[in-house]
Formats: sequence, structure tokens, C-alpha cells
Amino acid sequence: MRDLAHRLLTYEAAAGEASNGMEPPALRVYQKLRESLGEFAGSVAFQSLASRALVLARAEAPSLSAARVAADGSLQGLGEHELQLDMNKDRAGEGGFILIARLLGLLLVFLGESLTLSVLRAKWPESALNNRNFENGRNA
Amino acid sequence: MSTQDKVKINQLPTGVPGLDEIVGGGLPEFSFNIIAGAPGSGKTTLAHQFVFANASPERPALYFTVLGESAIKMLRYQQQYTFFDPAKLPDSIRFINLSQVVLDNDLGAVLEAITKEVERANPAVVVVDSFRTMVRKPNSDMELQSFIQRLALSLASWQATTFLIGEYAEDELRDNPIFTVADGLFWLRQTAERNSIVRKLQVIKLRGQDSVPGLHTFRITDAGIQAFSRTFGLTARKRNPPSNRRLCFGIPELDKMLDGGVREGDSVLIAGSSGTGKSVLATQFIAEGIRHGEPGIVAVFEERPEAYAERATSLGLDLETPQKDGKLTILYLRPLDLSVDETMQSILDAVQKIGAKRLVIDSLAGFEMALSPGFRADFRESLYRMIFALTGIGVTILSTVEVDESFTGFPFSTYSISFLTDDIIRLRYVSIDGQLRKIVVVIKMRGGNHAKDIREYEITSKGVVILGERLTNYEALISGIPEHSAPSGSKDESAQEPTIGRKK
Repeated sequence: MRDLAHRLLTYEAAAGEASNGMEPPALRVYQKLRESLGEFAGSVAFQSLASRALVLARAEAPSLSAARVAADGSLQGLGEHELQLDMNKDRAGEGGFILIARLLGLLLVFLGESLTLSVLRAKWPESALNNRNFENGRNA
Repeated sequence: MSTQDKVKINQLPTGVPGLDEIVGGGLPEFSFNIIAGAPGSGKTTLAHQFVFANASPERPALYFTVLGESAIKMLRYQQQYTFFDPAKLPDSIRFINLSQVVLDNDLGAVLEAITKEVERANPAVVVVDSFRTMVRKPNSDMELQSFIQRLALSLASWQATTFLIGEYAEDELRDNPIFTVADGLFWLRQTAERNSIVRKLQVIKLRGQDSVPGLHTFRITDAGIQAFSRTFGLTARKRNPPSNRRLCFGIPELDKMLDGGVREGDSVLIAGSSGTGKSVLATQFIAEGIRHGEPGIVAVFEERPEAYAERATSLGLDLETPQKDGKLTILYLRPLDLSVDETMQSILDAVQKIGAKRLVIDSLAGFEMALSPGFRADFRESLYRMIFALTGIGVTILSTVEVDESFTGFPFSTYSISFLTDDIIRLRYVSIDGQLRKIVVVIKMRGGNHAKDIREYEITSKGVVILGERLTNYEALISGIPEHSAPSGSKDESAQEPTIGRKK
């Protein structure tokens, strides 16, 4: 799942640069997941999943301790540095990256690989989803 | 109005095996349907099967979920069914959650949200699951009526076939505006009968075409719902004209007693107590058919097919080779919880697969015991439908039935089903000269001049063998405890006298 999270973050980093977007890639990925999951499962369901993912991610990234998922599913209280994706650094230490990996991991647990990919396809092109390694994700 | 002036209503496949037959060929396109029933009755699964059978990228399906089951959990479970194809999401099938809209707004806003998505996606199929949670909100009956009518109109205008799913109790059927507006109303029931669960489906209403009335059993397996029509899918088939062809047992003396054999398309009953050789006769009937190039089906309920074939081998009958050659199918219909309709469907599938001409049901008692207790009350009626349907397509059915032996009566069956049979062969024990022997008599044959003789037989390594000539020097043979009678003195009878215990 870390591999898939990395791909989505990389894709959004490039997309953000191309559009001169100011939003950090992790927030862009989170927002798309929120839209996609919110549409088919409802905002309450997304809020529940995101909250669980945040709790799991905090164990790996204490810097996420100030973050919280609002009732509408939006992510709040996250420092700017937690959301930035520096491609030259070890991304494993970045809170945003871990949060996304955990969220994708939960989707995998509940929906399985095929259906998770179907949900993601609504927001990302196939090229962003290729070469995934879901087995790694189970331990993410 | 001539046929060509009428609008043609396309029929869409339901995606549920057996249901197309029940609804009269398929579901009318652009119809506004309700699937109602108690929780756990299979409503969502039925809708999913329809959606997966009909959605395409060009004409997708929109599946609106409302309050109630979480979409994530629903999909977690639904994807376990074999019909669920994840590749169809999201291009062909889109799930949209309306919970917040329902919670925050009135029905007008809900209608607006649905309409907006429908206009955007141009769907062929729209499902609202569960609709019931939505309609608990209206402030008045008029608001609900208005909402339903606008929704039905809107979705039909957008050329969508619609399903509303709702948990309803049966007493809500009357005076409900939703049911009035609907073109199709499908009711799913699930009831506990002793230790079994019996599922039944009813098409209460379906505009524009004839559906099969009554309650149809259905089962939910890993392939989803499978429905079993009360007409067994044979409504479109014409009954074969009566045949005069005779089907032999391969037991020359018995075939003579039957005036050459049983008539093709007959229903034959072999009745007798335990150990009288009913199954042996049935096996010989099937084996003889295969020898004459007539494929056969044996439906067994009390033993495994391997054991059945092994027993045939001990009689010198090879049932293994014809099974490998596709000329014989031994169906083992697993005990407990079966409905007659399911059993029938299995038999029909097998009959059609190998073009069977002969069918053995061994035995009716085992068949009854294999049924869910709730279906046993309807056993005779179901059996009648089954036999009528199968003989109508030219299959000759031989059923065995165990009867409690009585020394004061001569019953043919404990089921009072002799009216279902064209021919009855009765086997029984008799006490003669300090031995327990066996006799066979043909009780009735439809349109046949069968022998009235009572004959003794034995079960040997070659199967049933009729001994000697008819028994003439005994009275009250069918009582089981006959008495010697004085020889009549006729030439014919005296010649046949000393036959008991002698093989011909």
C-alpha cells in the first residue's frame, strides 16, 4: 500500500506543479479520496475510515498528533511540513504519506484489491495506479 | 389495435437464473419497480444481479444508497457473489450515497439530487436502496404521493429502469401509494419452518406482460439468487402427443405382463416394502434404456451415486460406462432443506443436458425426507406438477415408493398419489410353505392390456427374475398369508400348479 500511496502522491505532486496548485500533494490525494469515498459511501463513512487511518498513522508519525478529521471528513490541524512531499527524502517519515497509506490499507481490508482500485479509478488515471504492490500495503 | 400498432416493450434480463421465466421473459424496460421484503430476504442481492446483468459504460447503472447499510459493508459482502464484477465499477456501475441529503433536506432535495445524477449519467438502471428510509420523512401522505409520482415520471422519462428497495411488512401492501405507482412489485419472503429457512418470491404486480402467478421458491448461494418457477420453465413448451411406444425393463416375463413394456411418457410407480427389489427393478429399467440408446437420469436421495452404481455392478449392470459416456446421470440431491422446485430444476437440467428419456426417482420417501419440512405439506401438489411437466416432454418416470406391509390391506402408496401414476407395479412378501417369498402384480396400466397374473419372483445376481407361471393354487395371495386352494382341475391351471420355488 505504501507503493500505491507513493504513486498517488507522486502523481498529485506533478499535477499540482503543472497547474501551479498550492495544495500539498498529500492533501490533494486525501481530498480526492474524500470525494470519491464520500460519493459512494457517504461522508460519515469516510469520516469514520479517515479517523481510524489517522489513529493508526499516529503510531508511526507522532507529528500527526495535532491532526484531526472533522465531522465532514476534512483533515484539520496538520502542519504544513507534514503534508509536503519531498521526493529526495525518505518518505516513510512523512505523516501525510503514512496517513494516505493507512487510508488505502483500510480500503483494501474492507473492499479488497479489485474494488479499491475501482474506487480509485474514479479519480486517478490507470497510469497513476499501475505497478501497485498491495501485499506490501497489508503491513503498511 | 393490430399487433404492429402496439408499442414494443423491450425485456431486460433479470440476471437471476429462473426469474426471467417467472416474469414472462424479462423485466419491462423503463419500468418502475419495487423490491419489498423483510431484512435479509435478498432484496439488495436481487437488485445487484439486475444491475450487473444490464449496466454498461454507455448506459450505466446508478445505485443510490441511503440510510441503513453502509455502502462499504454492502460491497464488502456483495463482492463475494460470483456475478459481482469489480471491473464494472465505476464506469458501468456507480454507487452514490444520499444519506446526508436525506438527513439534511426534504424529499424535494432528494428528488433533485437523484435527478441531477440521472441527467449527468444517462443511466439504463437506477436503484434506490433503501427507499424505505427515505419515505419515513414526509410530512404528509400528499408529500409522499407527490414525491413518488415525480420520481417515477422523471426516471421513466430519462428511460431508466428503476428499482426501489424497501423493508415492508405484508400488511403494508394495502393502500400504499408507492405500490399503486409501481409497474412491478416483487415481494421476497423468508420464513422459518421448524429448523429450515424457506425463501419464496412473488410477483405481485407486473404491468405489460404475463408473469407466472404464485409463490416461487428461491435460494441464495455464492452465485446469488436462483429462482425456481412453479412451472419449471416449461410454460413455453408444448406437451408431446401421447406415444404408443413401449419401454421395456429387460425382464422378459415382466415386460409380457406389461403388454410389452410401459408406454413412453408414462409415470410408473413401483410400490413395495423394504427389500422387495424396488431399486433393483428401477436400475434394470434404466440399464435397459441405455442398452436401447435411451439416456437416463437416476435421482437418488438415500445413497450416494457411487454406492448406487456399485450395487448395479453386483447385478451385472454397468452404470459406470454410460455415466462416462454422458448417457446416464446419477443425481444425488443432498438431503435437507430442498424445495421440490429446486429438485425439479436439477432434474430438468440433467434431463435437458443429456436428452434423457427415462427418469428414476428412488425413492419418493427419500425425496420427501430431503425436502425442507415447510415443503413437505405441499409434496403431493408439487409432485403432481413435476410429473405432469416431465411426462409432458416425453420423459418416462419410474418412481419407487415404500409401503408399510399389511396383512389386511394391499396399499399402493402411503402418499395417496396413485392418481399421479399411469402404471402401478406392486411387489410384496407372501408367506408360503414356511418361506417368505415375493410376488409381483401389475395393478394398473394406462390404456394397456396388462396381465392380471400374480407372479413369484426372486432377486438374483442377474436382478429380478420372474419364476414359473402365475400362481393358481393359492387364495388370498395379496394378503401375504395365502392358503392352498384345491386344484381347479382345468388343464391350463393344473399345468401351472407346481411352480412355487422353482426357477423357470
